[in-house]
Amino acid sequence: MRDLYQRLAVSPEANDQEISQAVTSCQHSALRQDAEAVFAVAERRETYDTLHDTLSDIGRLRARLGLSHGAHWQGDVANDFSLPPDHAISRHDELVDRVSHAVSLYNRWRRLRGPWLLIAVFAAGAGIGIALGLALCLGLLPM
Amino acid sequence: MSIARFSPFELLLLKSRSQVDTATLLLLAWVLVHRQHVSEGQRRRRLAQVTAQFRHGHELGPVMSIAHSQDLQAIQLAAEVVRKECGTERCLSVIHQAITVATDDGELSLANHYILRFLADLLSVAPMTLNTLFKELTGIPLTTPEDPSRDVYWQTHDPDYHARKAREAEAAERQHQQANARAEQQQRKKQQRHQQKQQKQQEKQQRQEQARQAREHEQQRQREQTRQQEQQRQQQQRERAEREQQRRSRQQDSYHQDSYHQDSSHQERRNRQQRASPPPPDRTTRALSVLGLTPGATRIEVRHAYRRMAQLHHPDRFYSESEHQVALASARFQRIKNAYDYLMQTY
Repeated sequence: MRDLYQRLAVSPEANDQEISQAVTSCQHSALRQDAEAVFAVAERRETYDTLHDTLSDIGRLRARLGLSHGAHWQGDVANDFSLPPDHAISRHDELVDRVSHAVSLYNRWRRLRGPWLLIAVFAAGAGIGIALGLALCLGLLPM
Repeated sequence: MSIARFSPFELLLLKSRSQVDTATLLLLAWVLVHRQHVSEGQRRRRLAQVTAQFRHGHELGPVMSIAHSQDLQAIQLAAEVVRKECGTERCLSVIHQAITVATDDGELSLANHYILRFLADLLSVAPMTLNTLFKELTGIPLTTPEDPSRDVYWQTHDPDYHARKAREAEAAERQHQQANARAEQQQRKKQQRHQQKQQKQQEKQQRQEQARQAREHEQQRQREQTRQQEQQRQQQQRERAEREQQRRSRQQDSYHQDSYHQDSSHQERRNRQQRASPPPPDRTTRALSVLGLTPGATRIEVRHAYRRMAQLHHPDRFYSESEHQVALASARFQRIKNAYDYLMQTY
Protein backbone atom coordinates (compact mmCIF):
# COMPACT_ATOMS: atom_id res chain seq x y z
CA MET A 1 0.00 0.00 0.00
CA ARG A 2 1.51 3.29 -1.09
CA ASP A 3 0.43 6.82 -0.30
CA LEU A 4 -0.70 7.93 -3.75
CA TYR A 5 -1.54 11.42 -2.50
CA GLN A 6 2.00 11.94 -1.30
CA ARG A 7 3.47 10.49 -4.47
CA LEU A 8 1.28 12.72 -6.68
CA ALA A 9 1.98 15.70 -4.36
CA VAL A 10 -1.70 16.53 -3.76
CA SER A 11 -3.56 16.80 -0.49
CA PRO A 12 -5.92 13.94 0.48
CA GLU A 13 -8.81 16.44 0.58
CA ALA A 14 -8.26 17.53 -3.03
CA ASN A 15 -11.32 17.40 -5.30
CA ASP A 16 -11.61 15.18 -8.37
CA GLN A 17 -10.52 17.86 -10.79
CA GLU A 18 -7.26 18.60 -8.98
CA ILE A 19 -6.54 14.91 -8.68
CA SER A 20 -7.14 14.17 -12.34
CA GLN A 21 -4.91 17.11 -13.21
CA ALA A 22 -2.14 15.72 -10.99
CA VAL A 23 -2.59 12.25 -12.46
CA THR A 24 -2.34 13.41 -16.06
CA SER A 25 0.73 15.51 -15.32
CA CYS A 26 2.47 12.60 -13.57
CA GLN A 27 5.69 11.58 -15.35
CA HIS A 28 5.90 8.02 -14.00
CA SER A 29 3.79 5.90 -16.36
CA ALA A 30 3.27 2.93 -14.00
CA LEU A 31 2.27 5.21 -11.14
CA ARG A 32 -0.06 7.10 -13.48
CA GLN A 33 -1.81 3.88 -14.49
CA ASP A 34 -2.27 2.83 -10.84
CA ALA A 35 -3.54 6.26 -9.81
CA GLU A 36 -6.01 6.28 -12.72
CA ALA A 37 -7.30 2.87 -11.64
CA VAL A 38 -7.85 4.07 -8.07
CA PHE A 39 -9.20 7.55 -8.65
CA ALA A 40 -11.34 6.87 -11.73
CA VAL A 41 -14.25 5.41 -9.72
CA ALA A 42 -15.70 7.14 -6.66
CA GLU A 43 -16.25 3.90 -4.70
CA ARG A 44 -12.64 2.85 -5.19
CA ARG A 45 -11.42 6.17 -3.95
CA GLU A 46 -13.66 5.82 -0.90
CA THR A 47 -12.24 2.38 -0.11
CA TYR A 48 -8.74 3.65 -0.62
CA ASP A 49 -9.36 6.71 1.57
CA THR A 50 -10.66 4.58 4.45
CA LEU A 51 -7.55 2.45 4.45
CA HIS A 52 -5.40 5.54 3.94
CA ASP A 53 -6.87 7.14 7.08
CA THR A 54 -6.32 4.00 9.13
CA LEU A 55 -2.73 3.73 7.96
CA SER A 56 -2.05 7.40 8.69
CA ASP A 57 -3.40 6.82 12.21
CA ILE A 58 -1.16 3.79 12.65
CA GLY A 59 1.81 5.77 11.32
CA ARG A 60 1.16 8.53 13.85
CA LEU A 61 0.72 6.02 16.69
CA ARG A 62 3.96 4.30 15.73
CA ALA A 63 5.81 7.61 15.64
CA ARG A 64 4.51 8.54 19.09
CA LEU A 65 5.21 5.14 20.61
CA GLY A 66 8.67 4.89 19.05
CA LEU A 67 7.73 1.97 16.78
CA SER A 68 8.50 3.50 13.38
CA HIS A 69 11.32 1.00 12.82
CA GLY A 70 9.42 -2.11 13.92
CA ALA A 71 9.93 -5.56 12.45
CA HIS A 72 6.38 -5.54 11.07
CA TRP A 73 6.67 -2.08 9.54
CA GLN A 74 8.53 -2.62 6.27
CA GLY A 75 8.35 -1.83 2.59
CA ASP A 76 6.05 0.67 0.88
CA VAL A 77 3.88 1.23 3.94
CA ALA A 78 6.82 2.11 6.15
CA ASN A 79 8.26 4.35 3.44
CA ASP A 80 5.08 6.33 2.84
CA PHE A 81 3.30 6.39 6.19
CA SER A 82 6.18 6.89 8.64
CA LEU A 83 5.96 10.30 10.25
CA PRO A 84 8.59 12.29 12.07
CA PRO A 85 8.10 12.14 15.86
CA ASP A 86 5.98 15.10 16.91
CA HIS A 87 7.31 15.32 20.47
CA ALA A 88 3.88 14.63 21.92
CA ILE A 89 4.10 13.78 25.59
CA SER A 90 3.23 10.23 26.64
CA ARG A 91 -0.53 9.99 27.20
CA HIS A 92 -0.11 7.88 30.30
CA ASP A 93 2.24 10.39 31.94
CA GLU A 94 -0.21 13.14 31.06
CA LEU A 95 -3.03 11.21 32.69
CA VAL A 96 -0.97 10.67 35.84
CA ASP A 97 -0.11 14.39 35.90
CA ARG A 98 -3.72 15.35 35.54
CA VAL A 99 -4.90 12.99 38.24
CA SER A 100 -2.26 14.22 40.67
CA HIS A 101 -3.26 17.80 39.92
CA ALA A 102 -6.90 16.96 40.60
CA VAL A 103 -5.93 15.22 43.83
CA SER A 104 -3.92 18.22 45.06
CA LEU A 105 -6.86 20.55 44.30
CA TYR A 106 -9.19 18.26 46.21
CA ASN A 107 -6.84 18.10 49.20
CA ARG A 108 -6.51 21.88 49.33
CA TRP A 109 -10.26 22.17 49.24
CA ARG A 110 -10.58 19.79 52.20
CA ARG A 111 -7.86 21.54 54.13
CA LEU A 112 -9.54 24.92 53.76
CA ARG A 113 -12.74 23.36 54.98
CA GLY A 114 -14.42 24.13 51.71
CA PRO A 115 -17.95 23.25 52.86
CA TRP A 116 -17.81 25.70 55.80
CA LEU A 117 -16.52 28.41 53.49
CA LEU A 118 -19.40 27.75 51.13
CA ILE A 119 -21.97 28.01 53.97
CA ALA A 120 -20.42 31.27 55.21
CA VAL A 121 -20.60 32.82 51.72
CA PHE A 122 -24.20 31.73 51.37
CA ALA A 123 -25.16 33.18 54.79
CA ALA A 124 -23.52 36.50 53.99
CA GLY A 125 -25.42 36.71 50.70
CA ALA A 126 -28.72 35.94 52.44
CA GLY A 127 -28.09 38.61 55.12
CA ILE A 128 -27.43 41.32 52.55
CA GLY A 129 -30.59 40.32 50.68
CA ILE A 130 -32.74 40.54 53.84
CA ALA A 131 -31.30 43.92 54.78
CA LEU A 132 -32.08 45.32 51.33
CA GLY A 133 -35.63 43.95 51.52
CA LEU A 134 -36.24 45.57 54.88
CA ALA A 135 -34.94 48.88 53.65
CA LEU A 136 -37.33 48.74 50.70
CA CYS A 137 -40.30 47.89 52.93
CA LEU A 138 -39.64 50.78 55.33
CA GLY A 139 -39.34 53.22 52.46
CA LEU A 140 -35.83 54.29 53.40
CA LEU A 141 -34.60 54.14 49.85
CA PRO A 142 -35.57 56.91 47.43
CA MET A 143 -37.79 55.22 44.86
CA MET B 1 -0.56 22.08 33.13
CA SER B 2 -3.39 21.45 30.76
CA ILE B 3 -6.87 22.60 31.66
CA ALA B 4 -8.45 19.96 29.44
CA ARG B 5 -11.08 17.76 31.02
CA PHE B 6 -10.70 14.04 31.46
CA SER B 7 -11.71 12.28 28.26
CA PRO B 8 -14.31 9.50 28.44
CA PHE B 9 -11.66 6.82 28.12
CA GLU B 10 -9.53 8.35 30.87
CA LEU B 11 -12.52 8.33 33.20
CA LEU B 12 -13.23 4.73 32.27
CA LEU B 13 -9.60 3.82 32.98
CA LEU B 14 -9.69 5.56 36.37
CA LYS B 15 -12.88 3.83 37.39
CA SER B 16 -11.81 0.43 36.12
CA ARG B 17 -10.82 -2.32 38.53
CA SER B 18 -8.08 -3.47 36.17
CA GLN B 19 -6.52 -0.87 33.90
CA VAL B 20 -4.80 -3.44 31.67
CA ASP B 21 -8.08 -5.17 31.01
CA THR B 22 -9.80 -1.92 30.06
CA ALA B 23 -6.94 -0.94 27.77
CA THR B 24 -6.91 -4.38 26.12
CA LEU B 25 -10.66 -4.10 25.71
CA LEU B 26 -10.29 -0.87 23.78
CA LEU B 27 -7.60 -2.31 21.49
CA LEU B 28 -9.76 -5.36 20.78
CA ALA B 29 -12.75 -3.11 20.10
CA TRP B 30 -10.55 -1.13 17.70
CA VAL B 31 -9.76 -4.34 15.82
CA LEU B 32 -13.44 -5.32 15.80
CA VAL B 33 -14.53 -1.97 14.39
CA HIS B 34 -12.30 -2.54 11.36
CA ARG B 35 -13.80 -5.95 10.69
CA GLN B 36 -16.10 -5.99 7.67
CA HIS B 37 -19.45 -7.69 7.02
CA VAL B 38 -20.34 -7.90 10.73
CA SER B 39 -23.31 -6.27 12.48
CA GLU B 40 -22.98 -4.16 15.61
CA GLY B 41 -24.71 -6.77 17.78
CA GLN B 42 -22.36 -9.50 16.56
CA ARG B 43 -19.39 -7.29 17.39
CA ARG B 44 -20.55 -6.77 20.97
CA ARG B 45 -21.32 -10.46 21.48
CA ARG B 46 -17.92 -11.45 20.13
CA LEU B 47 -16.14 -8.93 22.36
CA ALA B 48 -18.06 -10.11 25.45
CA GLN B 49 -17.28 -13.72 24.56
CA VAL B 50 -13.54 -13.17 24.17
CA THR B 51 -13.18 -11.00 27.29
CA ALA B 52 -15.31 -13.15 29.59
CA GLN B 53 -12.57 -13.60 32.19
CA PHE B 54 -11.55 -9.88 32.26
CA ARG B 55 -11.93 -8.12 35.63
CA HIS B 56 -12.60 -4.54 34.49
CA GLY B 57 -16.10 -4.35 35.97
CA HIS B 58 -17.76 -1.85 33.63
CA GLU B 59 -20.04 -1.90 30.61
CA LEU B 60 -18.74 -2.69 27.10
CA GLY B 61 -20.95 -0.03 25.46
CA PRO B 62 -18.78 3.03 26.15
CA VAL B 63 -15.65 1.19 25.01
CA MET B 64 -17.27 0.30 21.70
CA SER B 65 -18.44 3.89 21.19
CA ILE B 66 -14.91 5.20 21.86
CA ALA B 67 -13.51 2.69 19.36
CA HIS B 68 -16.13 3.73 16.80
CA SER B 69 -15.14 7.38 17.12
CA GLN B 70 -11.53 6.42 16.19
CA ASP B 71 -10.18 8.46 19.10
CA LEU B 72 -6.45 8.33 18.40
CA GLN B 73 -5.46 9.68 21.81
CA ALA B 74 -7.50 7.06 23.64
CA ILE B 75 -5.95 4.31 21.54
CA GLN B 76 -2.49 5.70 22.21
CA LEU B 77 -3.19 5.73 25.95
CA ALA B 78 -4.48 2.16 25.83
CA ALA B 79 -1.40 1.06 23.88
CA GLU B 80 0.88 2.69 26.44
CA VAL B 81 -0.92 1.05 29.36
CA VAL B 82 -0.83 -2.35 27.70
CA ARG B 83 2.85 -2.05 26.85
CA LYS B 84 3.71 -0.93 30.38
CA GLU B 85 1.76 -3.60 32.21
CA CYS B 86 2.04 -6.71 30.07
CA GLY B 87 4.60 -9.46 30.56
CA THR B 88 5.60 -11.87 27.81
CA GLU B 89 2.80 -14.33 28.51
CA ARG B 90 0.14 -11.67 28.74
CA CYS B 91 1.42 -10.16 25.49
CA LEU B 92 0.95 -13.44 23.69
CA SER B 93 -2.54 -13.85 25.10
CA VAL B 94 -3.48 -10.32 23.96
CA ILE B 95 -2.26 -11.08 20.42
CA HIS B 96 -4.15 -14.35 20.60
CA GLN B 97 -7.36 -12.52 21.53
CA ALA B 98 -6.78 -9.91 18.84
CA ILE B 99 -6.45 -12.59 16.16
CA THR B 100 -9.60 -14.36 17.37
CA VAL B 101 -11.53 -11.12 17.33
CA ALA B 102 -10.19 -10.05 13.93
CA THR B 103 -11.08 -13.21 12.09
CA ASP B 104 -13.23 -16.30 12.31
CA ASP B 105 -12.33 -18.06 9.10
CA GLY B 106 -8.91 -16.55 8.36
CA GLU B 107 -10.21 -13.66 6.29
CA LEU B 108 -8.62 -10.45 7.53
CA SER B 109 -9.72 -7.01 6.41
CA LEU B 110 -6.91 -4.88 4.99
CA ALA B 111 -7.00 -2.46 7.91
CA ASN B 112 -6.79 -5.33 10.39
CA HIS B 113 -3.69 -6.67 8.63
CA TYR B 114 -1.91 -3.49 9.60
CA ILE B 115 -3.54 -3.18 13.04
CA LEU B 116 -2.52 -6.72 14.00
CA ARG B 117 1.02 -6.04 12.91
CA PHE B 118 1.02 -2.80 14.89
CA LEU B 119 -0.11 -4.71 18.00
CA ALA B 120 2.58 -7.33 17.39
CA ASP B 121 5.23 -4.61 17.22
CA LEU B 122 3.77 -2.94 20.31
CA LEU B 123 3.91 -6.15 22.33
CA SER B 124 7.29 -7.10 20.80
CA VAL B 125 6.04 -10.28 19.19
CA ALA B 126 8.41 -11.42 16.43
CA PRO B 127 7.03 -11.97 12.90
CA MET B 128 7.72 -15.73 13.13
CA THR B 129 5.71 -16.04 16.33
CA LEU B 130 2.84 -14.04 14.88
CA ASN B 131 2.78 -16.23 11.77
CA THR B 132 2.71 -19.49 13.72
CA LEU B 133 0.07 -18.17 16.12
CA PHE B 134 -2.11 -17.02 13.25
CA LYS B 135 -1.78 -20.35 11.46
CA GLU B 136 -2.62 -22.29 14.63
CA LEU B 137 -5.73 -20.22 15.30
CA THR B 138 -7.18 -19.92 11.81
CA GLY B 139 -5.55 -22.74 9.84
CA ILE B 140 -4.41 -20.29 7.17
CA PRO B 141 -0.93 -18.74 6.97
CA LEU B 142 -0.70 -14.98 7.45
CA THR B 143 -0.25 -13.50 3.99
CA THR B 144 1.07 -10.10 3.03
CA PRO B 145 -1.85 -7.69 2.63
CA GLU B 146 -3.06 -6.82 -0.84
CA ASP B 147 -2.34 -3.39 -2.19
CA PRO B 148 -5.34 -1.29 -3.30
CA SER B 149 -3.01 1.44 -4.54
CA ARG B 150 -2.20 -0.75 -7.55
CA ASP B 151 -4.07 -1.42 -10.78
CA VAL B 152 -3.79 -5.22 -10.36
CA TYR B 153 -5.83 -5.17 -7.15
CA TRP B 154 -8.78 -3.53 -8.85
CA GLN B 155 -8.59 -5.81 -11.88
CA THR B 156 -9.07 -8.82 -9.59
CA HIS B 157 -11.55 -7.21 -7.18
CA ASP B 158 -13.65 -5.25 -9.63
CA PRO B 159 -13.78 -7.42 -12.80
CA ASP B 160 -17.29 -6.20 -13.70
CA TYR B 161 -16.02 -2.69 -14.22
CA HIS B 162 -13.22 -3.85 -16.50
CA ALA B 163 -15.56 -6.08 -18.51
CA ARG B 164 -17.91 -3.11 -18.97
CA LYS B 165 -15.00 -0.91 -20.01
CA ALA B 166 -13.85 -3.49 -22.58
CA ARG B 167 -17.40 -3.78 -23.97
CA GLU B 168 -17.68 0.00 -24.25
CA ALA B 169 -14.34 0.19 -26.03
CA GLU B 170 -15.47 -2.52 -28.49
CA ALA B 171 -18.74 -0.72 -29.19
CA ALA B 172 -16.87 2.51 -29.78
CA GLU B 173 -14.55 0.77 -32.21
CA ARG B 174 -17.47 -0.76 -34.09
CA GLN B 175 -19.11 2.65 -34.38
CA HIS B 176 -15.86 4.07 -35.61
CA GLN B 177 -15.61 1.38 -38.30
CA GLN B 178 -19.18 2.00 -39.44
CA ALA B 179 -18.50 5.71 -39.67
CA ASN B 180 -15.40 4.97 -41.71
CA ALA B 181 -17.34 2.76 -44.13
CA ARG B 182 -19.99 5.45 -44.59
CA ALA B 183 -17.34 8.07 -45.25
CA GLU B 184 -15.72 5.83 -47.87
CA GLN B 185 -19.01 5.36 -49.68
CA GLN B 186 -19.59 9.08 -49.75
CA GLN B 187 -16.11 9.64 -51.11
CA ARG B 188 -16.66 7.09 -53.87
CA LYS B 189 -19.83 8.87 -54.92
CA LYS B 190 -18.02 12.16 -54.91
CA GLN B 191 -15.28 10.72 -57.11
CA GLN B 192 -17.82 9.42 -59.62
CA ARG B 193 -19.46 12.83 -59.85
CA HIS B 194 -16.03 14.39 -60.26
CA GLN B 195 -15.16 12.03 -63.12
CA GLN B 196 -18.39 12.90 -64.96
CA LYS B 197 -17.61 16.56 -64.63
CA GLN B 198 -14.09 16.03 -65.96
CA GLN B 199 -15.40 14.22 -69.03
CA LYS B 200 -17.71 17.11 -69.82
CA GLN B 201 -14.89 19.60 -69.42
CA GLN B 202 -12.64 17.61 -71.74
CA GLU B 203 -15.25 17.65 -74.47
CA LYS B 204 -15.61 21.37 -74.10
CA GLN B 205 -11.84 21.88 -74.27
CA GLN B 206 -11.59 19.85 -77.46
CA ARG B 207 -14.19 22.03 -79.10
CA GLN B 208 -12.45 25.20 -78.02
CA GLU B 209 -9.08 23.96 -79.28
CA GLN B 210 -10.38 23.29 -82.75
CA ALA B 211 -11.64 26.86 -82.95
CA ARG B 212 -8.31 28.19 -81.60
CA GLN B 213 -6.25 26.28 -84.22
CA ALA B 214 -8.20 27.92 -86.97
CA ARG B 215 -7.58 31.33 -85.47
CA GLU B 216 -3.87 30.65 -84.95
CA HIS B 217 -3.20 29.93 -88.63
CA GLU B 218 -4.16 33.49 -89.45
CA GLN B 219 -2.18 35.01 -86.60
CA GLN B 220 1.06 33.09 -87.28
CA ARG B 221 2.09 35.23 -90.15
CA GLN B 222 1.79 38.43 -88.16
CA ARG B 223 3.68 36.91 -85.23
CA GLU B 224 6.76 35.97 -87.25
CA GLN B 225 7.34 39.59 -88.01
CA THR B 226 7.21 40.69 -84.42
CA ARG B 227 9.23 37.72 -83.04
CA GLN B 228 12.62 39.08 -83.96
CA GLN B 229 12.06 42.26 -81.97
CA GLU B 230 10.76 40.28 -78.97
CA GLN B 231 13.81 38.02 -78.85
CA GLN B 232 16.10 40.96 -78.28
CA ARG B 233 13.94 42.30 -75.46
CA GLN B 234 13.69 38.89 -73.74
CA GLN B 235 17.44 38.47 -73.66
CA GLN B 236 17.84 41.73 -71.77
CA GLN B 237 15.16 40.79 -69.25
CA ARG B 238 16.71 37.38 -68.55
CA GLU B 239 20.08 38.89 -67.71
CA ARG B 240 18.52 41.33 -65.27
CA ALA B 241 16.54 38.55 -63.52
CA GLU B 242 19.66 36.41 -63.10
CA ARG B 243 21.54 39.20 -61.39
CA GLU B 244 18.67 39.82 -59.00
CA GLN B 245 18.36 36.13 -58.06
CA GLN B 246 22.03 35.92 -57.13
CA ARG B 247 21.68 38.87 -54.78
CA ARG B 248 18.61 37.40 -53.08
CA SER B 249 20.16 33.97 -52.50
CA ARG B 250 23.16 35.60 -50.79
CA GLN B 251 20.84 37.45 -48.38
CA GLN B 252 18.87 34.32 -47.53
CA ASP B 253 22.02 32.39 -46.61
CA SER B 254 23.07 34.96 -44.05
CA TYR B 255 19.54 35.05 -42.54
CA HIS B 256 19.47 31.26 -42.13
CA GLN B 257 22.73 31.29 -40.20
CA ASP B 258 21.42 33.93 -37.81
CA SER B 259 18.19 32.11 -37.05
CA TYR B 260 20.07 28.86 -36.40
CA HIS B 261 22.20 30.58 -33.79
CA GLN B 262 19.14 31.95 -32.04
CA ASP B 263 17.41 28.56 -31.99
CA SER B 264 20.32 26.70 -30.45
CA SER B 265 20.80 29.27 -27.68
CA HIS B 266 17.07 29.06 -26.89
CA GLN B 267 17.21 25.28 -26.59
CA GLU B 268 20.20 25.44 -24.29
CA ARG B 269 18.39 27.81 -21.98
CA ARG B 270 15.36 25.49 -21.85
CA ASN B 271 17.56 22.49 -21.02
CA ARG B 272 19.19 24.38 -18.20
CA GLN B 273 15.77 25.33 -16.79
CA GLN B 274 14.67 21.69 -16.81
CA ARG B 275 17.80 20.59 -15.03
CA ALA B 276 17.48 23.31 -12.38
CA SER B 277 13.83 22.50 -11.53
CA PRO B 278 13.67 21.22 -7.93
CA PRO B 279 13.20 17.46 -7.29
CA PRO B 280 9.78 16.29 -6.00
CA PRO B 281 9.51 17.51 -2.40
CA ASP B 282 7.92 14.36 -1.03
CA ARG B 283 11.08 12.30 -1.43
CA THR B 284 13.07 14.75 0.66
CA THR B 285 10.34 14.75 3.32
CA ARG B 286 10.27 10.97 3.32
CA ALA B 287 14.03 10.73 3.61
CA LEU B 288 13.96 13.25 6.47
CA SER B 289 11.24 11.33 8.26
CA VAL B 290 13.27 8.12 7.96
CA LEU B 291 15.97 9.95 9.91
CA GLY B 292 13.35 11.22 12.36
CA LEU B 293 13.63 14.85 11.27
CA THR B 294 11.06 17.42 10.26
CA PRO B 295 11.29 19.30 6.93
CA GLY B 296 13.67 22.23 7.15
CA ALA B 297 16.41 20.44 9.07
CA THR B 298 19.94 21.67 8.42
CA ARG B 299 22.77 19.63 6.94
CA ILE B 300 24.45 19.31 10.32
CA GLU B 301 21.26 18.04 11.95
CA VAL B 302 20.90 15.48 9.18
CA ARG B 303 24.44 14.25 9.77
CA HIS B 304 23.95 14.01 13.54
CA ALA B 305 20.62 12.19 13.12
CA TYR B 306 22.22 9.78 10.64
CA ARG B 307 25.07 8.95 13.04
CA ARG B 308 22.67 8.34 15.89
CA MET B 309 20.35 6.17 13.78
CA ALA B 310 23.26 4.25 12.25
CA GLN B 311 24.61 3.40 15.71
CA LEU B 312 21.14 2.35 16.86
CA HIS B 313 20.32 0.14 13.90
CA HIS B 314 23.73 -1.18 12.87
CA PRO B 315 23.47 -4.93 12.05
CA ASP B 316 26.58 -5.68 14.15
CA ARG B 317 24.65 -4.77 17.27
CA PHE B 318 22.29 -7.68 16.65
CA TYR B 319 25.09 -10.19 16.04
CA SER B 320 24.38 -12.00 19.30
CA GLU B 321 20.67 -12.34 18.50
CA SER B 322 19.03 -14.40 15.78
CA GLU B 323 20.01 -14.28 12.15
CA HIS B 324 16.56 -12.92 11.35
CA GLN B 325 17.12 -9.93 13.63
CA VAL B 326 20.41 -9.21 11.84
CA ALA B 327 18.68 -9.35 8.46
CA LEU B 328 15.94 -6.97 9.65
CA ALA B 329 18.50 -4.62 11.13
CA SER B 330 20.50 -4.55 7.92
CA ALA B 331 17.34 -3.74 5.97
CA ARG B 332 16.61 -0.87 8.35
CA PHE B 333 20.22 0.29 8.16
CA GLN B 334 20.08 0.23 4.38
CA ARG B 335 16.95 2.38 4.42
CA ILE B 336 18.56 4.90 6.74
CA LYS B 337 21.74 4.98 4.66
CA ASN B 338 19.82 5.47 1.41
CA ALA B 339 17.92 8.37 2.97
CA TYR B 340 21.17 9.93 4.17
CA ASP B 341 22.90 9.52 0.81
CA TYR B 342 19.95 11.11 -0.95
CA LEU B 343 19.86 14.04 1.49
CA MET B 344 23.61 14.63 1.15
CA GLN B 345 23.19 14.83 -2.63
CA THR B 346 20.31 17.27 -2.54
CA TYR B 347 21.19 19.47 0.41
